[in-house]
Amino acid sequence: MDIIDTFNISASGLAAQRVRLQTISSNLANARTTRTENGGPYQRRSPIFEASAIDSFGSRLDRALSSVNISGIDVATGPGRRVHDPSHPDADASGHVLFPDIDILHEMVDLMTASRSYEANANVLDTTSELANRALQIGR
Amino acid sequence: MSGFLADPIFSGLQQVLDLRQQQHTLTASNLANADTPGFKAQAIDFSDILSDVFRSAGTVRRTHAQHLGASNADNMEILELEAPPWSVDGNSVVPERETARLQENSLMYSAVSTGLSRRLAMLKYAANDGKL
Repeated sequence: MDIIDTFNISASGLAAQRVRLQTISSNLANARTTRTENGGPYQRRSPIFEASAIDSFGSRLDRALSSVNISGIDVATGPGRRVHDPSHPDADASGHVLFPDIDILHEMVDLMTASRSYEANANVLDTTSELANRALQIGR
Repeated sequence: MSGFLADPIFSGLQQVLDLRQQQHTLTASNLANADTPGFKAQAIDFSDILSDVFRSAGTVRRTHAQHLGASNADNMEILELEAPPWSVDGNSVVPERETARLQENSLMYSAVSTGLSRRLAMLKYAANDGKL
């Protein structure tokens, strides 16, 4: 375990939060999308976070350390939200349209949490380089 | 062991610097996984290890397999913090606690590295015949 591993751990956290921000922006952009390649409304996406040990054979401390990676993007499978809107081009015979089941409020809260988590990881990254520089100055 | 770089203060400070760096990595790992469902925050119990480092006057000798060795990372006790009952996804990382630990740890790291620098400055002073 060395200082590079610490950088890598924080980098994995930053990358994971960035993917989370991307899925949120995709969800918000498509909150009213009724047509997709597979037919039907857009489905909400959410990343799946997974802790992965950085060194399973090292010392006890090394085994306790984990970086985070995205093991996949979960795509919702629900039917969507049925809204009565006969004037909509995608309305069915009874005048109902299927919209994506996306709650804007939920996405905004998720957005704020993701950006705070991103900041926390960036903060650790800064501190790591500060400590590394500090160590290089020993004896000066 | 003798030699001017193997004195208790110098090697003690070196070990503490090592420990602080390990604590820093652990905090990085906890914060990276602050949103991973089911992840348990890890912590090192510092007070025991620190008192061990200085009780044995810096040169850690292993007298028992379970004791601290020359490398603390091999035998370090890692605590796994349990998630509180109200935690929805079983994650036990408290970002505030980790951030506070990050700041405290980086302050202590600076203090120890300054200590090491001062110790080296003293040796330099002596080696230069008392001339600065």
